[in-house]
Amino acid sequence: MKKTKKKPVNIAKAAKTTIFYIFVVGVMVALLLPIYFIISLSFLSTREAYTYPLPLVPALKTQFKLEQGKRGYLLSVYDRVEGDYESVLDTAEPEKMQVYLKSQLATPMTMEDIEQQIARLETEDVIYFTRRRNLLGNYQTFFGVAGFKAVPALIRSLQICAMTIIISLSIGGMAGYAFARYAFKGKDLLKFSTLFVRMFPGVAIAIPMIKILVGLNFYDKPIGLSLVYSIGNIALTVWITASIFMGIPESLEEAAQVFGGSKARAFLRITLPLALPGLAAAAMYSFLGAWNETVSAIILTQFNPTFSVIVYQTVLGAVGQVNLAAAGGMAMAIPAVIFTFFIRRYIRQMWGGVTI
Amino acid sequence: MGMTAIARWNGKTWKKISKGAAPYLLVLPVVLYYAAFWLRPVITSVIASFTGAAGQFTLENFALVFHEEHFIAAVKNTTIIVIFSVTLEFFGALFLALLIDRKFRGSDLFLFLAMIPMALPAAAAGAMWTTGLTAHGWMNSLLGYLGILAEGEKIYWLVGSDAKLLTTLIVIDAWQVIPSVMIILLAGLQNIQEEVKEAGYVFGGDYFHVLRKITLPLLKPTITTAIILRLISAIQIWLIIVFLFGFSRLPVLLERVVYYTKEVRGLYVAGQMAAGYTLVVAAVVSLAALVYLQVSGAFKREEEQLT
Repeated sequence: MKKTKKKPVNIAKAAKTTIFYIFVVGVMVALLLPIYFIISLSFLSTREAYTYPLPLVPALKTQFKLEQGKRGYLLSVYDRVEGDYESVLDTAEPEKMQVYLKSQLATPMTMEDIEQQIARLETEDVIYFTRRRNLLGNYQTFFGVAGFKAVPALIRSLQICAMTIIISLSIGGMAGYAFARYAFKGKDLLKFSTLFVRMFPGVAIAIPMIKILVGLNFYDKPIGLSLVYSIGNIALTVWITASIFMGIPESLEEAAQVFGGSKARAFLRITLPLALPGLAAAAMYSFLGAWNETVSAIILTQFNPTFSVIVYQTVLGAVGQVNLAAAGGMAMAIPAVIFTFFIRRYIRQMWGGVTI
Repeated sequence: MGMTAIARWNGKTWKKISKGAAPYLLVLPVVLYYAAFWLRPVITSVIASFTGAAGQFTLENFALVFHEEHFIAAVKNTTIIVIFSVTLEFFGALFLALLIDRKFRGSDLFLFLAMIPMALPAAAAGAMWTTGLTAHGWMNSLLGYLGILAEGEKIYWLVGSDAKLLTTLIVIDAWQVIPSVMIILLAGLQNIQEEVKEAGYVFGGDYFHVLRKITLPLLKPTITTAIILRLISAIQIWLIIVFLFGFSRLPVLLERVVYYTKEVRGLYVAGQMAAGYTLVVAAVVSLAALVYLQVSGAFKREEEQLT
């Protein structure tokens, strides 16, 4: 009796769980589909990127057909979507073929290899062969096209991010601590500062900022941009750090003081170590804000662009090179993914304390 | 002065000043920073909006803005975008936050994946959607594979009526913005004590009953916070619009500022136009924020907390 009573409940529960997970997975797929496609696109060869419909998965190898053509040798490529070979090039020059293989098909072949295949045509009418694709071709081209500018820009961006973190976390963190621990006049003003700062468009601040930065001799330098990025980040850091400090009981600090430590020492020995993971998460926020920003960077740099500006220019400049644009975008998105992986544990600490 | 002297000074004096001046000393750097790097450019910008080409005080800039050919459209589009995207994003975010708050197996992974869109840089998002929504892009390819689009049939996402473009834009914007609203709501949900909700279940409420009567009312301050932050950014939308449609196709207020700042050069009214539009944007944002805070009762709660 007991057994039969228990079983239907379990089935119902299992069914419910299954439906729930199907639902969850469905939501996830819908959310991540665009990201999947941009990643997939970043691995496609230029030729593949312009076929329609686009292949769902990048090919790992290319299948070729070679025969005598009108002008020379006729090269055909197997099209997975159409399920047939399509002629792509008719040339007598192996050098041209090599360039085409590399740039359009992302399948590099040595001259020796190409000539060997052509030699086979003397005995056979049609030959077939398969070569491995260079999956990272778009990324190599992206860093190649952006050339020697990309690496210094990357270093510069990292410098800007580091300085933004230091400025925001020190200045914002102090205010956040005051907000969490003291009652004082103007506390609400501090709380609303995050809103105030956002009410004035950032682009509009960047223009008068040129003059201020030139005056400080900071124009077109990493420190200049980090000063600008800190504007929004400080306000955000005040909120986040206030939340974090609120989550650490004041009684701990008081206990330390009872045992003879000063307030500053209690903070350094007790509160700070406890707050450290949350503060690191707040630092990630500042990092991401500084890393992703493009518009102020365009306005406030001249000869020393940031990495995001390089990506932006390559994306815009590569109109008609969608796979390159995708690779550039993805190269820039890697820190973003690391960021979300890290901060997901600190959401409550960061956003749980301060509300309007 | 030795280290011990500093320590002694700290120990005695710190206690005395800690109650009164300490919070102000801690807040002072923020105030100074904002005075130097926020207030100064803002004042410069505000003055510029009241300054004519010859450097005199004038209201002419605003007259220029109000008569600009895209002004009406910009106001209209901005309003539509704000209303629909804030609504859609709020409900989408609330839905995701409630889902993750159920703490099912794998909810940690779900949270990680669901947050990725918010972290994507604008350039990456722009590349994603411009490659996706062209006639030969991946969106139509996918719909073709799924059999939703017949062979040879295509949807032109990026051309057509304003209503169509606005819909495309609002959905895309929601996709990227929902996670950032979600994490604020999720933090609020995680702050609600389980016991409170359990009490609701004990008294016979089902999930939706508890949600409506207990969870959402307790979440209200968080909701206000999330919406006000979102409202402020939604009015300032522009970059994704320019990525998708270019300038002037679907004009919005801030896009006009950028247009007259960066795109139009040499035209003497461009600077005035940009300055005028800037102040219009700032005024609209401030007004909307104030109205929202008033209506949502945030100011009232403030007073209650103080008394």
